[in-house]
Formats: sequence, structure tokens, C-alpha cells
Amino acid sequence: MKKKSFLSRMVRLAFGLAMLTLLLMGAVSYRWMVISDDSDRWVRHTHEVLSNIQDLALAMESIESATRGFVLTGKESDLDAYRANVARVAQDQATIRSLAVDTTVQQIYIPQLQVLSAERIQRAEMVINLRRTKGFASAMAAVASGPDERDTEFQALIGKTLDKELLLRTQRVARTDGYLSQSKTILILGILLGISITGIASWAAVHDSDKRAAAEESLRQSEDNYRGLMEAAPDGMVVVNQAGEMVLLNAQAEKQFGYRRDELLGQKVTNIIPEGFAERLIADGTRTAAEALAQQIGTGIELIGRRNDGTNFPIEIMLSPLESAEGILVTAAIRDISVRKNAEMHLARMEERYRGLMEAAPDGMVVVNQAGEIVLLNAQAESQFGYRRDELLGQKVTNIIPMGFAERLVADALRPVEVALAQQIGTGIELHGQRKDGTAFPIEIMLSPLKNSEGILVTAAIRDIRVRKAAEEHLAMKLEELSRSNRDLEQFAAIASHDLQEPLRMVASYTQLLARRYKGKLDSDADDFIAFAVDGATRMQQLIQDLLAYSRVASRGKDLLEISSEDALRQAIKNLGGAIQESGAVVTNGSLPNVLADESQLVQLFQNLVGNAIKYQKGGTPHVHISAVMDANRKWTFSVKDNGLGIEPQFFERIFGMFQRLHKREEFSGTGIGLAICKRIVERHGGTISVESQPGQGSTFHFSLDATALKSQQDSEVVLCQ
Amino acid sequence: MSINVLLVEDSPGDVRLTQETLRNSKLPITLHVATDGVEAMSYLRHENGNGQSPRPDFILLDLNLPRMSGREVLAEVKGDDDLRTIPTIILTTSDAEVDILRSYQLQANCYLTKPVRFEEFETLVKSIDDFWLTKVKLPGRGNASD
Repeated sequence: MKKKSFLSRMVRLAFGLAMLTLLLMGAVSYRWMVISDDSDRWVRHTHEVLSNIQDLALAMESIESATRGFVLTGKESDLDAYRANVARVAQDQATIRSLAVDTTVQQIYIPQLQVLSAERIQRAEMVINLRRTKGFASAMAAVASGPDERDTEFQALIGKTLDKELLLRTQRVARTDGYLSQSKTILILGILLGISITGIASWAAVHDSDKRAAAEESLRQSEDNYRGLMEAAPDGMVVVNQAGEMVLLNAQAEKQFGYRRDELLGQKVTNIIPEGFAERLIADGTRTAAEALAQQIGTGIELIGRRNDGTNFPIEIMLSPLESAEGILVTAAIRDISVRKNAEMHLARMEERYRGLMEAAPDGMVVVNQAGEIVLLNAQAESQFGYRRDELLGQKVTNIIPMGFAERLVADALRPVEVALAQQIGTGIELHGQRKDGTAFPIEIMLSPLKNSEGILVTAAIRDIRVRKAAEEHLAMKLEELSRSNRDLEQFAAIASHDLQEPLRMVASYTQLLARRYKGKLDSDADDFIAFAVDGATRMQQLIQDLLAYSRVASRGKDLLEISSEDALRQAIKNLGGAIQESGAVVTNGSLPNVLADESQLVQLFQNLVGNAIKYQKGGTPHVHISAVMDANRKWTFSVKDNGLGIEPQFFERIFGMFQRLHKREEFSGTGIGLAICKRIVERHGGTISVESQPGQGSTFHFSLDATALKSQQDSEVVLCQ
Repeated sequence: MSINVLLVEDSPGDVRLTQETLRNSKLPITLHVATDGVEAMSYLRHENGNGQSPRPDFILLDLNLPRMSGREVLAEVKGDDDLRTIPTIILTTSDAEVDILRSYQLQANCYLTKPVRFEEFETLVKSIDDFWLTKVKLPGRGNASD
């Protein structure tokens, strides 16, 4: 394009120069004509002046000779010639004056000439008068004495005037010759210049037309390419000229609008895009067409397209300019956006619904984009944080949740944003919220992703957990207090029982020694007193030992292992050997499972329960049966059933307390700690213990233990000991 | 010829109870008492005015003692070529597993827990008398029952 314009500029310049040369040559020729005309006129003028002056001199000679003739003859008729020549002199003088008006030198000479000729005519007149009045002699004398020097002066002046005029003529001719030779040179040079410029211009023109042909060829090529590109484009493409007529379109455009190509070419684009397109190509008062177009280039403009059948559909057009031989054309890429529009509408509806749901939510809800900016929030969130909605929209979420939230939305080197987010979804994250007044409060947020046109948004449900936090803290504090007090108590029990035991052993031992050595040797009061002292010390020793045993359930407990509960029962029965033999008790058991337990504690548990069953009897043969069944929670429930005294329901709870006794010491010995120890052992194993009983009908103690494996065992009666 | 027993015990009540119980023994027993570990070692090594003290045939050792504990005394005795042949019986209130294990590791000859009841204590001391002092042959004494 650039080259082409350069070439055509050169051709234009060459022709311009040629024209200028011709003009110049014309001017020079014209001037030459004018000058030569002028110089002719001057030559003629000079000749006229010269002839008049010579004529004047001749006329003066004639006047002289006529005067002399009259003097000789005295005939009046001879004066006719004289008169005629006087008139001729006046005539000549007038002519010379008018001719020599332009030459200053002659203007000086000509008046002198006039004066001199007037003097000579006056003298001739005087001679003529003398002849008439005084006769021939006096007239002759006057002629003879005539002033000869005046005649000579006149002749000299005539000569001077003639010389002057001749000089002028020579000068003029020389000047004219100069002009002419100059003009000749200019003309020759002008012709040469004209020839060379024409040559150059012709060469340039030929060259330019070659170039132009090449350019046209490449243009055609690129137009073909353009057409190919257009057809390959996924969008409909329509090329429109400045008049709003379609000059080119592709198959997609045909399909989109339901026309054949030939139905559209040359037609107004308003047929298929009724509004908004053609208007954009047109200049208005404030801008040119090019500007109007430039403002639209590249922008996606949403318009309505009209099909052949009259139906409308939403389109998006992208404009780009296309310079062509016919001026600027506009290419419009036309995309059918009905699917997108539908999706947008659907999305808008969904968003509306979502907004409704958000407002209905009991928690504060904040929707945040990937940049960490708040794009949506509900009234609950407003009141939680003390901001108005418009104060938060578009702001960074870190304004209300300074730490821990925004960070969770961000991808890092190890994971993309989706993964970062997926790791957080659904989990309750405890963070701190910050109100407008700067105060902080504990919150729990639950995140869920929300995909929309702007990418993934994150919805955070924000719950104010101040109350829960306070409750949790309170609970944790209480729990800590409780466990501390438990530890203190255990420590106290252990220390107390151990350290109290030593002095008590002394008291008991020495009172017993006293009793043994001095019984019957003092009075009966002393024996009683010693007996009370021995009894008290002995009971206290028992209490302390039981207390120690109780505290040791926790402090000396071992790991829970899989053991045979049947083995534990056998060991307990063996330990109870003496009591069983004494009472003649019958202890039987069903099939007992393996359980997860501390063996020595399970032995103690069975020993205490079976021991109690044998002990609290009304006098008959004690029958004790031990069995186990598995419950729904995969726990074994053991039952120790006896035929003893039974327990009244109001004591069911109390019997498991420390030092709780239901009987007088005289009836049944014991410190009342056996069942408390049982309860403690069962609870340490994660089970529960309870009793069901009716007074006089015996009691059944139930306790539960964790199973080790799913093994259903038949309940079969086995007599162990009698 | 009486049997020399060294009782290492800081509680005078227990010392007396042991003395009272052993008084009924058929054997002539001479009870020497050390109230802490340092005293016990001085006695055994004939130091600090214990130059003439007889070598004990038998040691009854409590574990919890002031100044030097029974465990240290046990370690010293069993680490001494001369003293290690003296049977040493631990007699203590502790029934802690660690104490029992540690004592046997230090080669105690026997570990006994002081019973809480007087009768049981009496029985225990009698059984020591009956077994260790009567039936057991002690080094350097030939047959004790003769």
C-alpha cells in the first residue's frame, strides 16, 4: 500500500513538473514576443523622430530661400512657398514634441530647436516687410547682414538631436538583442527539461502500473484467504459496507438467519439485524464514520437477530474494520447466544432462589469470590458483624474474619484452588469474627462451593458460637476441676491409708499384746476397755485397707487384655474357698466368654459379688449362678444370681456407695466398701453395674464388659463347686 | 551359742514387737538393732565403736530408713565379698511390685511384708524363727538345730 502510494505520488509529481515547464516556456515565449514588438515600435519611433527633424531642417532651408526669392523679385506670389514652409515647421515641431515626450534628453533639445526656428522665421518676416516698404536695397542689406552664427547654431542643434536619437536607437536595439538571446536559452533548456521529465514520468508510470498489478494480485489473494477464513470461522460472518449493505457472508451466517447467500448479498443489513448494527457504522454530528466504527471495534455488542421466518434470537456481534478498494468495510462476527442467554436467565433465577434461601438461613451467610471479596451476604451476617450490607459488599472478607478464612480459598504451590477448597468443605472451622466496633467474637464457619459465571464462589455459613464456647470452656474447666479433685482424692486416700496404717498398726498390735498379756490380771473394766480398743483399732485397720484397695482400683490398674472370664471366676472361687466350704454354697456358671479386662480386678469383682452372695443369707444353702449374654452393643452382660436375702429397691443405688451398709455389724461384718470397689472396677472397664432384687427372693447383680470377638456361646450349666 | 540377728529398723514399736515375739523362741537369739542404714553398715564393718560387735548370722532389713535406705544397705552388703554370705531378709510395710523386684535383683534372700494384724505379725516372726533360724543351715555355723 505504502509503496503504491509512493509510486503514484512520483508519477503525479513528474506530470506536475512537466506542466510547470510548459507554462514557463509559454511565459518566456510570450515575453519574447512582447519584447520584440516593443523594440520594433522603438525603431519605428526613432525613424519618425529623425525624419521629422530632417524635415524641419529642410522646411527652414525652404523658408530662407523663399525669402531670398521675394527680395530679388518683389513678387507677392513668391511668398506662397514661404507661407507653406512656415506651416510645415509648426507641423514638424508639434510632431517632434509629441514623439520625444519619453526621452528626457530630447525634451531639453527640442525647446531650444523651437526657439531657434522661431527666431529665423521672425527674421525672414522682417526681411519680407523691408522689401515691401524700403525696397530691394535695404532688404538685401538686411539679408547680407543676417546673423550667420544663429544659422550655424540651428544646424548644430539639429545635428545633436539627430545624434542623440541615433544613440538611443542603438541602445534599444542592443537591449532587445540581449532579451532575445536570453529567451532562446531559456526555451532550449525548457524543452530539454520537459523531455527528461516526461521520460521519467513515463518510466514511473510504467513501473507503477506493474506494481499496481502485483498489488492487485496480492489483494485478490488475500481476499481469497479472507473468504476462506470467513468460511472457516465458527461464527456467522457478515461484511457490510458504509451504506449498510451486505457485501460478503459465510455459510454460518446463512444457516443462522435461514437465508440463501444470494438472498442477502446487496441487501440492507437491517433485514437480518434490525437494530443497533447499521446505526453503529454511520457518522453523526459529533463523530466521523471512522470514529464511530473505532468506538465499536472489538466490543461484544448484544443485539437481536431476525431469521428469514421472522423469528428473533439473541446475538452477540464483534466488529472489525476491513479496508478495501470500495472504502472501509465492516466485518461482523455474529454469535447466536440464545443458549447462553437462557443459561444466564436460569442462573439469575437460581441466584434469586439462592438469595431467598440465604436470607431464610438461621446462620449468617457470606458469599466470597476467589479474590476474597464479599459478593453477597444475608441480614443475619449484617447483624452479627454490625455492618450495613452496602458497607461490606465488595470489601475484603478479612475485614470481618481477619484470619483463617481468606487463606483457605487461596491456591498455593502444592495445590490448586479447587483442591484447597475441597479440603475445607463441610468442616466446621472455628475462627474469630470482628465486628464493626472492633470487638472480636468466636465463630464457626462451614464452607461450601458455589460455581457461577464468575468462577467458584464460596458460601460461608457463620455461626456465633459465643454461648457454646463459653459452655465448652465452662465444661472444660469443670472437667479439669473434677479430675484434679479426683486425683487429689486418690492421692489423699493412698497417702492416708498407707500413712495411717503405720501408727494404727502400733496401736492395734500393742493393744492386742496388752490384751494377751494382761487379760484377767487387771479388773473386768480394764478387760472391757482393752477389748473396745482392740476392736476399734482392728475395724479401723480394715477400713483403711478397704480404702486403699478402692483407691488402688485406679492407681494400680493394669492394661485391659483379652482374658478368659471363666478363669477369673475359678480364681475367685478358689480365693473364697474357706467361705464356700463353711457355708456349703453351690456356685454354678454358664459358658463364660473371653473379655477385655484387667485379670486381677475381674477376679476381685467376682470374688466380691460371689462372696456377698454367700454371705448375705438367711440360713439355707447358698446357690449362686454366674452367666453372660451379649447385648446389641457387642457388650457382655454378666449376671451373678443368688438366693439370698434380697435388697429393697430404695437401696439399689445406695449399696454401690462407699461405706454403705444395710445391716448391723452384729449381723454381718464388713466395711461396706465391697460393692463400691465392684462399681469402680466395672466403670474402669467402661461398663455399668446394677442390681435387681426382691427382698426374700434373692438378688441378681448385672455388670457389662467389652467383648473381644463375636463368639456366641451357649449357656450351659456347669457345677463347679459344692 | 546364741544366734546373732541384726535388725535394721527405725520404728521402735516394730523393734519392740519383734523383740517381744522372739522372746518366746526356743533358741538363744541375740538381737542387735540398727535404726538406720548408716548405723547398720558401721555395725557390719566394725566401725565407730563397733569394733567388737559380732558378725550377724542373719539380717532383718526394713526398706524405708532415714539417712541410708534399706535398698542401699542391701546393695552394699551383697556387693561386699565378705558380707554377701549373710542371709538378708527384707521385712517392710511396702507391698509395691517395684520394691519386691528390686530387692530380689539386689539378691535379697527373702521378701516379707509386715502384716497389719498383730497375730499375723507374730506368726510371721515365728515362722522366721522356725524356718530361717531353725531349719536353714547358715554359713559358718554347722547345723543350727544342734
